[in-house]
Amino acid sequence: SSCEHKLNFKKSKEVCLSYIQDAMLQKQWKRAAEFLTFYVESLEKDFSRQDVNPSEMIWRIGAEILWHHSHGSVKEFNSFIEQMKILSVKRYLKVCLEHVFHLLCHGLIDEAYQTLSLAESWRFGEQTAVQDKEIKLIQAYRGLLDYYSWSKKKNILLEYGECQDGFDDLSVEQEMHSCFRKAAVNLKEIIKVPGVWDLFVKCYVDLLEFYGAHNEARQVLNEYAYNSKFPANPNAHVYLYEFLKRHGESKKSLISALKILHDIVPSHELMIDFNTMLQKSKKRKNRRLGLEVIFAALDYAGWKENVKAWSCLARQVKQIVISEKHLDWIKQEWNSRKDWWPAFHFSRYLAKRNWQKNESLSYEKALVAGILLGKECKYFKYVSHQGCKAQMKRFRVLKKFVNKHSLVYLRISG
Amino acid sequence: MEFPAALFPSYFSAGPPREEGGPPPAVGWGEHGQVMEAGPCHRQGETAFVPRRGGLGESWEPADAAAVPLLPPNASCWISPLVPQDILHSSVLRRKLRTGKSTATLDFAKQLGHFFVDHPEDAFGSLGQLLHQNFYLGNSKLRRQARHSTIRLTALMEEIDQLEARRGCPQRYIIPRLRWFSHLCRDWLFEVPLGLLADCVHEELLQQWAGLLFDDSPTGGALTWLPPEDKGACTGRLVYPGGQAMNSLYFQDVVLEDLPHARGSPVQFELNGRIRQVASAWVDGEDFIGVRSDYHCGVWRVPGRMGSAPTPLQVIRTDVPASCLTVSPHLPGELAVCTQSGAVYLWSVETGLCRLRRDPQTMFFRDHSSWRWSDFTAHPRVLSCADRTGLQCLDARAPERCHFDLFKVGEEAGCRQGERVVLPMYLGRAHPSQHLVTTQFSVYILDERLPMVPVLKWTHMMKAPPLFAHLTPGGPGRSHKVLLGTSRTQELLLLQYQGKRWGFRGGSQSACQLVGPPQKLHSIAGCLQHLPVQLPHHHRLLQQRLSLPAAGLAAVLQEDGPRETLMVFQLSEVGDIFCQRLTHEAAQPPSPTKGDEATQPTPSLAVPSPAAALRYRRWLKALSKACRAHPQNPWPPTFSQKRLFTPRELETPAGPSALHQQARQQLRQAMREGGRIQRWDTPAPQRPPLPQPLEPAGGLESLSARLTATWSGDWSQWWEERSSFNMAQRQRALRERRRRQKQARGRRSLSASFTSSLTYQSELSELSDTVPPPPPPLSPTALPQEASGSLSPMPDEALLSSQSLRCRGIPKERRKTLRDYLSVCAEGPPEPPEPPGSQSGQACIPLSQGPSLSQASSASRPRRKRPRMGF
Repeated sequence: SSCEHKLNFKKSKEVCLSYIQDAMLQKQWKRAAEFLTFYVESLEKDFSRQDVNPSEMIWRIGAEILWHHSHGSVKEFNSFIEQMKILSVKRYLKVCLEHVFHLLCHGLIDEAYQTLSLAESWRFGEQTAVQDKEIKLIQAYRGLLDYYSWSKKKNILLEYGECQDGFDDLSVEQEMHSCFRKAAVNLKEIIKVPGVWDLFVKCYVDLLEFYGAHNEARQVLNEYAYNSKFPANPNAHVYLYEFLKRHGESKKSLISALKILHDIVPSHELMIDFNTMLQKSKKRKNRRLGLEVIFAALDYAGWKENVKAWSCLARQVKQIVISEKHLDWIKQEWNSRKDWWPAFHFSRYLAKRNWQKNESLSYEKALVAGILLGKECKYFKYVSHQGCKAQMKRFRVLKKFVNKHSLVYLRISG
Repeated sequence: MEFPAALFPSYFSAGPPREEGGPPPAVGWGEHGQVMEAGPCHRQGETAFVPRRGGLGESWEPADAAAVPLLPPNASCWISPLVPQDILHSSVLRRKLRTGKSTATLDFAKQLGHFFVDHPEDAFGSLGQLLHQNFYLGNSKLRRQARHSTIRLTALMEEIDQLEARRGCPQRYIIPRLRWFSHLCRDWLFEVPLGLLADCVHEELLQQWAGLLFDDSPTGGALTWLPPEDKGACTGRLVYPGGQAMNSLYFQDVVLEDLPHARGSPVQFELNGRIRQVASAWVDGEDFIGVRSDYHCGVWRVPGRMGSAPTPLQVIRTDVPASCLTVSPHLPGELAVCTQSGAVYLWSVETGLCRLRRDPQTMFFRDHSSWRWSDFTAHPRVLSCADRTGLQCLDARAPERCHFDLFKVGEEAGCRQGERVVLPMYLGRAHPSQHLVTTQFSVYILDERLPMVPVLKWTHMMKAPPLFAHLTPGGPGRSHKVLLGTSRTQELLLLQYQGKRWGFRGGSQSACQLVGPPQKLHSIAGCLQHLPVQLPHHHRLLQQRLSLPAAGLAAVLQEDGPRETLMVFQLSEVGDIFCQRLTHEAAQPPSPTKGDEATQPTPSLAVPSPAAALRYRRWLKALSKACRAHPQNPWPPTFSQKRLFTPRELETPAGPSALHQQARQQLRQAMREGGRIQRWDTPAPQRPPLPQPLEPAGGLESLSARLTATWSGDWSQWWEERSSFNMAQRQRALRERRRRQKQARGRRSLSASFTSSLTYQSELSELSDTVPPPPPPLSPTALPQEASGSLSPMPDEALLSSQSLRCRGIPKERRKTLRDYLSVCAEGPPEPPEPPGSQSGQACIPLSQGPSLSQASSASRPRRKRPRMGF
């Protein structure tokens, strides 16, 4: 019978938890809070301790209820969290971290900084792997906040430095440097560990650049982008490219940085820049790559209505057609696309819609369609007809151009 | 499309998942996950931060008290759901429930027996016909001529019946005659060889059991909404399965007015199998609808204009059941098909099927499931392929060479051990490169451009794995709404996520955030309480019908000025469609979700609107009417209650009666005080007069005496009398016993006397410390005062042990007596002291004697150390 009693107790606890869940999922926070008090009571009476850490459950549910129900009263939330920190010793760092996040989202940056400093000095028993990760994150966030105060001080200095009216910039400068040291130490640590650290890397590089440590900054960015233990994060390559661009690196290194980005994310928005850069290049290989890049970008659904990309393609295709050199480049690109681009880009429905919504888009697309598919293509026919009807000069020119080069289409598809 | 300029920080590590077991309860709450700065504009002052989860979302309030039927019930389909009891050994099931172990034993013999009884023609057809003249089943004796060609089987039949009657009896033995008969005819009697048949039945049973545990065939859902071409129009089309075997495909026009309703009659196609999934996509101004049944997949086209008829385009047949069918959102007439053999096809209406992969093995690690899924990605020629272990993207032009891993159940995405992919979905309408992946524990949002690392992850805490999902994209600055639905538990969950921040020119892309609290929507079963009251057995059937697993989910956003309504449709396994509405006032900026009791009625108080109530009544009427029309349906016959009562009698009172109210008031008061209700009736007036107590006859039985006393109300007095009487009686009995002990002592050995001394000691304890008589057990009418500590019912073991005796303060002189007694005992037979009870002359507790209530506490337990002396 005692077993049954235990079973019943467990069951009623589960029921209570499901009531809490239901109330929370229906946004009845007050009701959930009431149930939670019962639940806490039942946890107190429960000596079986089979469940996973009940204090964590109380922390999670309680925090969620307070977010929504205390009408943004941070004080109430703080006192709750302080209790939770005492209650759940093993999850102390996690609770602290979440507390910091809450404070940061409410704009209480100083309080968050204090909490982080406190959490950092906490020690309990043997450190587990999870705790190790958490403590590193805590340090990183502290570094981040140090960085923000550094940049604030930097701005003050820059502002008052221009005025030069007895402003005591020495102490501010000292403070700024101490902020820099604190931030740099912590940020440097976290970005060694594999992960997505966009925020921290950006800040760290900014610090290094300000103090002129360009080589170190470059090293950090290279590591972040090319270390195979890190995930293939497009941003890592973007930051590196931007850094190189900022420091006036050679075209070649810029191109090679973007080439790698192109290989992992052909649909990245920097591909337009890449294409423009390649088109301007004198090397044939690069111009060829440029065509490839723009064709590849336009394969993606997200680029379907991107006027810039279409005008890039139209320009390059027009150049090739006029010069009559390298038609085989187009042919090669077109070969793997000719069975689905017409339906994907150049259907009659799209012609109608593009014409209605974005005239210049339909102009660029019609040019490409006219060259790739010939003047009988539905898209070209519809758009040029509408354009001529609307008495627009550029559409008449377009029609003439396509008619003049109507044989190109046969050479491409043949 | 832009890639967010910065992502939320996260650790990354490769390898198999490390965390064990299911997620702890409530793990989805109370966590922001990570934060990052809200915008690049931190030079103007303090930096603002946004959380990964827990940001402000839109507030969508349910407009209905429960889900409302959209269409009349699909009454021709009435599958009574399979329950574990049907196919499991009942005894095993019981034992399993008792011990909590999860080993299931299938009741194979029962199923085989059912087959023989239900399909005798198929089981024994030809031999039955051949032999029926030689088997005699009557009771009379066989005639002499017939005897050498006919056997009498009556006795055998009787034994079979007996066997049936003894079912469940633990001492079942095999009857020799039956054994003999089965031995004799096992090889030739059956139409289908028994071994083969048994294999088939067993296989089917296993399949049914697996389906009962988790049925993945409806993955994706069989309900879809075709929006009108012109956004403002409020008529769309719902595509769903129906009919007797869920094998008809319906296209029904639905008008989205206040409460959506059907317009006209649906276009119907009858198909060749049960419809498992209906998927659709809108491409180039036309809707393409893919329909999957087990061995057939079909595609329909519906031109965008309203009222145009759907046309079937193509059908393919598969040898192995198909597990997935998705329609390309990029190219007209393209679909992705997967079969359970591990093959993935790109199916184009124009060019036919093109196989991209065929691999019976799972991708990342071994899993037994043959479920496969495929969906489209941002690149029209790249398809995502999924099995239970993860997702890969394949280029259809060179599937062997060009592929990359998009998601893997592993440490990369922070998965748990045992986590499996349940439903992947391409979220192209929200963002061209985002995908949704649900597992039984969590929901992930992935970006193709950053494979393996989920851009968003949340533990959904649903009771069953979400098999259905629906995306309602939000415009710039608005959140995308994702609905998740489960099959068996009918759960519906609304999540919001945001990938774009407010700003000039439509805002820039930012890292994905989960915003607003998750929200639970009504399930179909929830409307039961709003349906008109039914007779109990009808109610049960209705409940069964309403709580059948869900089979699909669709939603549509209806904009009407500042007011937006999200209509959510849910399809049940038997083809009933219910809908519910959520409203959002777009005029106010996304305010903190006030969502409090103050702003919305609590669901227990909410009543369906008159229109909804009418829907309920009509739906129920149609259901019962259809059930009466089909006699095979299990709606049992009933008598109308109108024949039993006059209409006046049936009239329900306008409000709760005075008595009701009084009772309720009492109940409330008792709850407030935390006490209990002592009397249900009102105090004085209604009290029935007490019957005259019977004169206690001379030898009145003690029980009836007690009952009489209780009835007349002076029970406590009776108790006191009784206990003192008992005490006297007991004292007498003890004295008698001591006397007999004295007589018997001569014949005892030393050891025996030692034991006896021990028991004697305990016996002493029974008598020594009981000071006042116990109060009577609590009377039901009067709340007693708290019994004082020493008198509270104690386990008798405690009472008897000498230790407790000491603890409870036995007078010193008595302990001395005891010690003396024991020492004498060790040397030789001492003179027994006078029973201490009688010495002190105090009352003692009659723990084991007398028919008093205390029997309940003590007599039921076996006495340890029962005195052995005197026997």
